Order: sequence, then structure tokens, then C-alpha cells
Amino acid sequence: MAQRERIVGGIGADEEYWNGLERGVFQLPRCTGCKKWMWPAHFRCGACGTWDLAWEEVKPEGVVYSWTRTWYPFDRTRERSEDVPYVVVLAEIPHAGGARVMGVLSGPEDKLKIGAAVRGRILAPSPKSKGYPSITWELA
Amino acid sequence: MNVFRGATAIVGIGQTPYYKRGTSPDPELKLALRAIVAACADAGIAPQDVDGFVSYGSERNDGQKLMWGLGTKELKFGALVWTHGGGIPGALGLAASAIIAGHAEIVVVYRAMAEGSNERLRVAVAQNDTAAQYLVNGMDGPAQICAMRSQRMIEYDGVPRSCLRDMAKAAYFHAKRNPNAYGRTVDLDDQTYEASRYISEPYRLFDCSRENDASAAVILVSAERAKDLAKKPAYVLSAPIGAPHGWGAAEENMIDYTSGGFKSVAKRLWAQSGYGPKDVDVAQIYENMTGMGVAAIIDHGFCTPETAGDFIRYENLIVPGGTFPVNTSGGNLADGFIHGMGLVNEAVRQIRGESPNQVADAQLSLVTGGPGDMVVSTALLGSAATL
Ligand SMILES: [Zn+2]
Repeated sequence: MAQRERIVGGIGADEEYWNGLERGVFQLPRCTGCKKWMWPAHFRCGACGTWDLAWEEVKPEGVVYSWTRTWYPFDRTRERSEDVPYVVVLAEIPHAGGARVMGVLSGPEDKLKIGAAVRGRILAPSPKSKGYPSITWELA
Repeated sequence: MNVFRGATAIVGIGQTPYYKRGTSPDPELKLALRAIVAACADAGIAPQDVDGFVSYGSERNDGQKLMWGLGTKELKFGALVWTHGGGIPGALGLAASAIIAGHAEIVVVYRAMAEGSNERLRVAVAQNDTAAQYLVNGMDGPAQICAMRSQRMIEYDGVPRSCLRDMAKAAYFHAKRNPNAYGRTVDLDDQTYEASRYISEPYRLFDCSRENDASAAVILVSAERAKDLAKKPAYVLSAPIGAPHGWGAAEENMIDYTSGGFKSVAKRLWAQSGYGPKDVDVAQIYENMTGMGVAAIIDHGFCTPETAGDFIRYENLIVPGGTFPVNTSGGNLADGFIHGMGLVNEAVRQIRGESPNQVADAQLSLVTGGPGDMVVSTALLGSAATL
């Protein structure tokens, strides 16, 4: 695990997501009981009550569920100020129960629209991603 | 039997001026005191008699810090409501519940914000509960998150962009006639709006609320006690808080993604109050960003994505003439931003007949909490005639 200051704002069950990306693997959590995909990761499956979730490798392919192009250098993401304007895509992964996963868009933007196919590429930890590994989406 | 409906009323409102962010002459706690004391004076209640304190979000000026400044005789109730701005009407609901249950008799609901004595407001408002997935991927907080949701509301649900623009135009129009509004000098026409820079698409500058240093407070008492006080009571008919299945802390995986999160609380609001969207005379719709206000209006059943273009239209949103006047003091966008608390005061002014953009004979006044929050709330206030 690379050095990174842990961001504590979420549920806190997603450590394996980041560990996976760090190893070059895109994986999402799934309930071992009812097989429901559980994203964002949680500690217990609210559907069947199972406490165990398994991380399954998922092909990083999906479709644009929504997106925004940011033109303002916001405070808490000021590491990306020089990239403004940049696009963040919320990608829906149909083969992972429709889980929606965020990532910055890389490459050409001209075909950007809801429903467009995207493919993910894993990026190594960097200051821009606050020391975390990340997935970047590219329009397919 | 409905023990909640009309059992309590807002009898006092108070607020400080809106200061430019970071320029308040007073620290945050003093702003809170000023708003509370003003609300007490408005109600004809001695500040030392306030015995309950309720706020929401990241409010830090709690009752235990205020009580020495107010001379509090006894603090009987105090609580903070989840989560961010979504909790405002829910704070009214909790205050009312405390009164109905007999925990306290005179409860203040308030919010104070000053950058000088707190951290940057955007950080304070975000409360450090932004998950890693956002921050790692260049998503700072509400403006971008809401932008992404509004983008789908427009591109996929088919809600016209003009709804966002017209929410902004209505707010600035009302602010021009409000001498206390921070944005009263801005003339917002179509051209000015369309020419303004993007913050995060689809939001332009005028779609986003500004942040101010300010404080606002309202006083609640029982309906019985309200009768003996100076001002016309604004009865709390319903003020539900909650989230439907598939909402909450979902990191953009909510089932009803383009919703503002209000469908479950709106259903309870109409059921408890006995009224429906067609009965509402005036609405204060929390718009951190215009698009989320649009989602809140749809969630409450005032219109559908299909009819939004016609309903959420400038001419229909303003006083006089509109059938659905919104944000009649200028709202978060153009009046000022105290994390939405200013909307409650304006909802009360409409019942009293004291609004700078008074809706003729307003009896039912809606105020909605922060849309898109992980838990949201909404409230319907009414005159005595609506009980
Ligand atoms: Zn399960």
C-alpha cells in the first residue's frame, strides 16, 4: 500500500477497491449470500443480511450514466486546478449490477453523452488523485 | 388522530444582515445570539425563557455555548438534525415534536455561519463527509455532484435547461424588491445568464448560491401559547424528514438518481397536512443549485419532467402573476445563503403578510430543505384558517 492520507468521509468499507486499483485490478464488492453487487461497499448486505462480501474482478467497461465538465478550480480538489476544464464521468457497469463508478475522463470528449460506451484505465497514485490510485474513463 | 398537525407554530423570526463571506463584524456565536435575540423580540418572548435549541448540518453554536449569553433559565432540549441543508424543515419538525412531547416549551431553530471564526464555509458545509471516490476524482462537493445529477435530469429525463435559468431569474427578480437581499443590485436577464461562465456544467455562475456570513433564527411554541403572542402564528402543519429506500449515503448510486430525494417526505407531507400541491400559495425552494430546486419541485408533485418546461417558467414563478411563486425574498441565490435558513424566515413572512414580495392572501407556505442531501425534509406552514 502506497502512502496516502486516508479520506474518511464515506462508509469506510471500500479499502479493497483502492487496494485492487493499486494492483492494477478493477474490482467491485458482491454479497456472498444473495450475490447482489454492493456499491458503494458496505459492511453488511441490507438485502439478505450477509456480513461477508467478496471483491470480484470486473471488466472496466460501461456506459456514461451522467457527467459534468468542471470549469472552476474548487478548494478541496485544487490539485486539479491546471486541468480545468475537466470532465468527470459517472460510469454505469452493466455486468456489475449497474454499479456506478466515478472517474475523470481522458482523451477525446466529442462523443461524450449519456449512454456512450466507456472503457476504464487504471492510473497510479498521484497528487491529483490525492495519493490514491484511480480509474480514468475513455470514450470507446 | 394527528398529534403533530398544527400543534405548534412559529411565532418569532430574526436574522442578521447578510455580510460578504469573511467580512462579518461579529464572530459566529455572536451572530447566532443576535438572530435569536431578534427572533425573541419579534415574538415578545424574553431570551432567557428559550429552553430548547435545535439546528442542523455543521452548526457549532450549540445551546450550551449560547445559554450564558441568553441568560437561559433552564436548557431542556437540544439537538442537531441530520445531515446538511436537507435537515432544515426537519429541524422545525424536531423542535415541534419536543414541544408536543413536553420536553421543552420555547424552542429556537437557528443557523449561524461566519468564515472568519470558522473554517471555509464550503468545507464547513460539506462537513468532511465527502467519500474518497469524489475527492480522488476531482469532485470537490455539492456543486459538481449536483451538476452531474442535473445533467442527467436534463439530458435523459428531458427537463429543459430553461427551468434552471428561470429559477435563477425569479430569485433575482424578487431580490430586487427586497432591501435586505444581498443580490438586489443584479439585473438577471436571459442574456446575462447565458453569458455567465460555467462553474460545473450544466451550472453557470447564476445557478449557484453564494455564501454569506449571517445568522437566522425562528421561535416555536405550542399553538395554545401562540395565540397570546404578538405576531400572527405560522402553524407547522407537517415537517417530515427522511429518505426513501435506495437513497442515503449512496455515492451516486441512488435508485432515483435525478430526484432531489423528496418523494417519500413529500408523500408524508401531503398526507399529514391534508393538502396537496395545488393548494400551496407560495414556496421557498432550497436551491443550493437551481437544478436541484427543479428536482425538488418535481418530487413534490407540482409538475413532472414532461410539464416542467411550462410550469417552472419565469412568469409562473414570480409575484405578482405567477401561480407558483418561489423564493420570494430572493432565496439562497439572491437574498443570501445561511445554509438555507433564510428560507424559513421568508416562509413565515408570507403567512404574516410581511414579505417584500407578498403573495396576496397567502395561507399555505411551503419550505423545502437542501435537495439531494442524503437525508432531506420539507415543511408546510399554514395560517389559522388552514388548521
Ligand atoms: Zn446479500
